Amino acid sequence: MTFNKKLFKYLLAVAILIAFAPRNSYADGFPVRPGRFILSPSVSYFFANKQFDSTSHRRAFDNNGRFHSVSYAFYSEYGISRKFTLSALVPYSMNYFNTDSITHAITTSGLQDIEIGIKYYLANINYKYYFSIKATGIIPTYHNNASLGYGYYGSELKLAFAGSGHLFGKQSYFVAENAVREYFGSESVFQDRYNLTYGLTLDKKFKEQLSISIGGFYATSGNSLINPNPIISANPNTSKNFAFNQVSVSYGHAFSKNLSLFLTGGTFITGRNTGAGTSLSASLNYRLDTR
Amino acid sequence: MMTGLKSYILLLLSAIFLVVCSTNTKATVHKPKAGDEVSTTLVTGSKDGIFSSRASYTFNVKNATDAPQTGTVSYIAVTPAGVTVAKESRMVNLSKHSNNSFDFTVPEQKPGFYKINFMINVSDYDDTTRRVFGVRPEEIQSQHGRPADFDSFWQTTKNELATVKPQFKMTEKTEQETENRKVYLIEMRSLDNITVRGWLTIPKTTIRNRRFTTLLALPGYQVDLKPMLGEDNDIAIITLNVRGQGNSRDVIHPKRPDYISLNAEDKNKYVLRGAIMDCIRTIDFIYSRPELDPKRIEVSGGSLGGFLAAAVAGLDNRVQLVSSQNPILSDIRNLPNQEDWPMYDLHKYAGEKGIKFDKVLDNLDYFDIKNFAQNIQTPILLGIGLLDHLAPPNNEYAFYNLIPGKYRRIMVFKDLGHEVPTAYIMKDGHMMRDKFALF
Repeated sequence: MTFNKKLFKYLLAVAILIAFAPRNSYADGFPVRPGRFILSPSVSYFFANKQFDSTSHRRAFDNNGRFHSVSYAFYSEYGISRKFTLSALVPYSMNYFNTDSITHAITTSGLQDIEIGIKYYLANINYKYYFSIKATGIIPTYHNNASLGYGYYGSELKLAFAGSGHLFGKQSYFVAENAVREYFGSESVFQDRYNLTYGLTLDKKFKEQLSISIGGFYATSGNSLINPNPIISANPNTSKNFAFNQVSVSYGHAFSKNLSLFLTGGTFITGRNTGAGTSLSASLNYRLDTR
Repeated sequence: MMTGLKSYILLLLSAIFLVVCSTNTKATVHKPKAGDEVSTTLVTGSKDGIFSSRASYTFNVKNATDAPQTGTVSYIAVTPAGVTVAKESRMVNLSKHSNNSFDFTVPEQKPGFYKINFMINVSDYDDTTRRVFGVRPEEIQSQHGRPADFDSFWQTTKNELATVKPQFKMTEKTEQETENRKVYLIEMRSLDNITVRGWLTIPKTTIRNRRFTTLLALPGYQVDLKPMLGEDNDIAIITLNVRGQGNSRDVIHPKRPDYISLNAEDKNKYVLRGAIMDCIRTIDFIYSRPELDPKRIEVSGGSLGGFLAAAVAGLDNRVQLVSSQNPILSDIRNLPNQEDWPMYDLHKYAGEKGIKFDKVLDNLDYFDIKNFAQNIQTPILLGIGLLDHLAPPNNEYAFYNLIPGKYRRIMVFKDLGHEVPTAYIMKDGHMMRDKFALF
């Protein structure tokens, strides 16, 4: 049999190439393209009219106390190289605590801790599962305002594992992260922060995304006393000995390849020495390639 | 709040290559034409048909007829040269509307690949299922060395190419551009001052001075590659028609079957010497273009294109990633079935020209991809099909095993012939995305 007598067939070898979709801010795991900026402004509202006490029982604040917090944050990432990504977080918070026994709410506001991080893309498994490690420096922007933060410099080390695949005929993904954080000061605080996210893309054009997350903090300090000021003790950003676990649902919509909006709602399910809160947030995610 | 989102299939991109098929090797279920009466399925004991010592299979037989079926189920395993190494036959007695499974284990074999046929011969049905299995293929070694002057031959050839002024030319083809891509006809002078042509498509971009990753797609046998489009905004694509193919046939334009043997009696005039240099010249072209990133080049091809990609990998370290699918002309002296292409046509050519075939083989040693293997210093993904009679697995492994371990990867498809499946294409795409940080 000679070649020219055989069946000729062209095979179109279609290389379906995978790029990462826009992600809600703060989630690590996947590497960032070199030269790419990810810019993510967000606004969050946190409300708690109950608290978890030191025995993890949920109870109302004294005198029908209510804690509210509105936070604005700007988060950004920049891909330095294939392996390294730079990140920055600048949060601004306005906190309110009110009770039936006071005429004017206790309020505080201001910039909180700025975080500067560098992420290193460790490895992947079959280009499906990605591992990264991130080191973050924490820089307080305020002095002697315990309602905005500890006022200590700190550092964090985070390990992240992320992946994607098909489930029920849809593209799905996950991110698993755990971070240990230490604030350095006379009353140093150690925190462990974790987050698990599982999500699905809802349409073939990858415009609609839905995810669920469970995450939480565990914080401990040399000073085990609970701050009597409720605007401090109710706020997970300012307590020193507390823990919580929360679940959240997030919906993402991509307006274009580079611009997405994420709406997230979450609630605390367990906790200790912190407000039993509910949060709502909206964040924009804009990608800008420079190379 | 921490949430993550990901995974986005952005685009389609393509590398066209010629595939030659002549067998119905993919079927795993056999049914009689009359209807669902007797059918068989064969389950291989390993996912890629490769075993450490003894191959195992389960042969399932289903009798959906109203009559009992009696006869035999059997197998025979042979070497690529047709020497029987094992066989077994068992009596089968299937009552009506019943099924049965038969486990077969082939006695331990030496490293290599073996053809294995499973037969059913019962009252109303006869059929054969053909497969190939491998035993420790990582131990396969070619029995034939490479010419002592192999490297100097190719260095001389590259030096010769360097004396040819490339005269690169790009002509924008606005009538062929799409919403997201510009299309250019590219032309350049290559070895022997022959003009070769191809197509470059570049994503439209608003980023100033952006340099694109480039996929250089190499052609299969006598394929006329066209501009490759698609929705990918990250990658520039060059489809090259080497001399004697597509729009590069002005000087060399043999009839289709004659191309593989053109001037095979002289290694300095053999058509593939120039074709390989055409690929190298195209890499020169990529290096000459400010919009193409010289640090991010993938070369990809199948069949003859796989051969060209493998040769380029061994000759030019400027490429960062190579994808070679079912490359032909590996371990040429060990291509067993000389009734098959390309050996049949090479024999025919030698006969017509009155050339001793040994002379042809001596020259082809300079074009055997296994002889390029040890020079490869670029990550290379190789895709092979165990049922491929044009690029047989024994020959492919003779090439693969000579590539330095840190650069090589292989994907083996036990039920495929001269082609690769989507899984390979996906892997290739993922590798490129990761290697070139196109996250």
